[in-house]
Amino acid sequence: MALIDLKQISKSFKMGDEIIHALDSVNAQINEGEFTAIIGTSGSGKSTLMSIIGLLDLPTTGQYFLDNINTTSMSDDELSHYRNQKIGFVFQSFNLMPKASALKNVEMPMLYAAAYSTNLTDKTVREMAISALEQVGLSSRMHHQPNELSGGQRQRVAIARALVNKPKILLADEPTGALDTKTSEEILNLFEDLNKQGVTVILVTHEPNVAKRCRRVLVMSDGRLTEEKKS
Amino acid sequence: MNIKMILLQSFEALVENKLRSILTMLGMIIGVSAVILLVSVGTGAKRYITSEFESLGTNIIIVQPGKTDKKSTMGPPVTSSKGKLTLTDVDALMKTSPSLSAVSGIMFGAGTVKNEEASQNINIFGSNEQFIKIFNMTIGEGNYISKEEEEAGRRVVVLGYEVKKGLFGTDYALGKLVKINDSEHRVIGVIKETGNKLGFNVDEMVFIPTKSALRLFNTDKLFGIRAAARSRGGINDAVKELTLILKERHNNEEDFTVVTQVTMLESMNTILNMLTYALAAIALISMLVGGIGIMNIMLVSVTERTREIGIRRAVGARRSDILRQFITEAVVISITGGIVGILVSMAITHTLYFFFPGFDARPPFWILPPAFLLSFFTGLIFGVWPARKASHIQTIDALRYE
Repeated sequence: MALIDLKQISKSFKMGDEIIHALDSVNAQINEGEFTAIIGTSGSGKSTLMSIIGLLDLPTTGQYFLDNINTTSMSDDELSHYRNQKIGFVFQSFNLMPKASALKNVEMPMLYAAAYSTNLTDKTVREMAISALEQVGLSSRMHHQPNELSGGQRQRVAIARALVNKPKILLADEPTGALDTKTSEEILNLFEDLNKQGVTVILVTHEPNVAKRCRRVLVMSDGRLTEEKKS
Repeated sequence: MNIKMILLQSFEALVENKLRSILTMLGMIIGVSAVILLVSVGTGAKRYITSEFESLGTNIIIVQPGKTDKKSTMGPPVTSSKGKLTLTDVDALMKTSPSLSAVSGIMFGAGTVKNEEASQNINIFGSNEQFIKIFNMTIGEGNYISKEEEEAGRRVVVLGYEVKKGLFGTDYALGKLVKINDSEHRVIGVIKETGNKLGFNVDEMVFIPTKSALRLFNTDKLFGIRAAARSRGGINDAVKELTLILKERHNNEEDFTVVTQVTMLESMNTILNMLTYALAAIALISMLVGGIGIMNIMLVSVTERTREIGIRRAVGARRSDILRQFITEAVVISITGGIVGILVSMAITHTLYFFFPGFDARPPFWILPPAFLLSFFTGLIFGVWPARKASHIQTIDALRYE
């Protein structure tokens, strides 16, 4: 059974009098351990698809099975729980808390995880956050605030935050969009390493050379999803 | 997220916006201080009046002629058609009531006091030698009326401080003659400067023997009887005893009214308590304004931190986590303001007490817990709506919010 199983997912918005079909009967399966890119032009619906995969938004119709559980009928609290436990997000604009140190940023998801698990003491939270920062090679800068870090370092903090709860899926929305080529390369290398360690990585991007690094490429176009055949 | 973390984050959020937090707290500080200060002034006034009452002499029993069925604080009107208290009643009480330490019949009326220099229209007070004990007065020069002078109904007078000043200036007054309603009286004493004793300005009165006063006003009916119980605890027994004795003398009819300081104080306190509560109610309005200030700032804060809310939701915060976070921030603002308000009002009242020890408006301890709770609930109530708004922000929109 696939880790992510999208069945006939459609999403439409109302904009004024017009109804926009952002996703139109999308079907896809992504297995555990895959390294997948979702590409498409701006407005193709790839961001909407990512929100739905990331449980940030619900489809209008269709069903989404994550880890064999139908998420479309989940309550808001259950979705929060699932986001917390199963998914790590990385955003183009990092989305770090500006006034908190790297360490505090990384600790945050675990503080919410503590609601479901009693053995997350302050000490374990700290230790896990430090080890996540070590994993992305930033343990030396954990007491710095985001504005004291470079773009690449910020994205590493964001990745550490995404990883800290040991999620099954790492969901990255244009993770290199705000970075220069060299730093992008480093970040992509990091994703590859993580994938080798077993994390399922999904990159949403419009840059073909980013997509090239992925083993599987899904193309969004006008709300429809097709698979690009790799030669 | 546990409460400790939420509290910690709330403090961090407040410290990040120092000026704004302080200004918001100011509303709360003023509100809580106002409540405490007004209640303190109310209780201070109560304490002041109580001590004034007690300065009259602690165990005063007031007997007035006449009786009404309705209860009233000060007894029936003075000119009662029924009931008559006389000097023989006073004698009987003196001889047969062991629980009274002093008894005096009193006479009270307006009159003219004059000498060659000046003339004054003032209150003339008739009493016997024991009255000075009952009313806690101090003689400045000479003596008060003696037993012998009372019994003989001598034409002697003790002047109030201001009266003496008006008639004699700084001259020596003892032994001189003054005319009271055209009848000559010899000055035997001057009361030490006293001021107001509950509406009686002792300084502007003259005191003569009761007998002389009855003669002066041409009556045998006393204005009333004033007595003092031997002890404060014994005041109720003294009232019973006094009532029994007088009743027996008045053909078993209770045609007089007995009022004690205790009953007078009680009704005074009722009025003052109402005043205090009314003041506190007015002060509550400023709490309301403070609460609205908190709500306003929290709404701004929620909008400003939309993105933060999005991030928190994305990494797993539930709606209830966001709700709790923002309510906690509102409560932290309000209770911090509340604590500062308590300290401010303490500082103000203690400083005032230091400079004006005569009027003690230091807050009573019982007001502090309610003041604290009040600030807590204000934050809670006015924090709910902004926090609800924060918790209902759509995650996906919040993450894209610029």
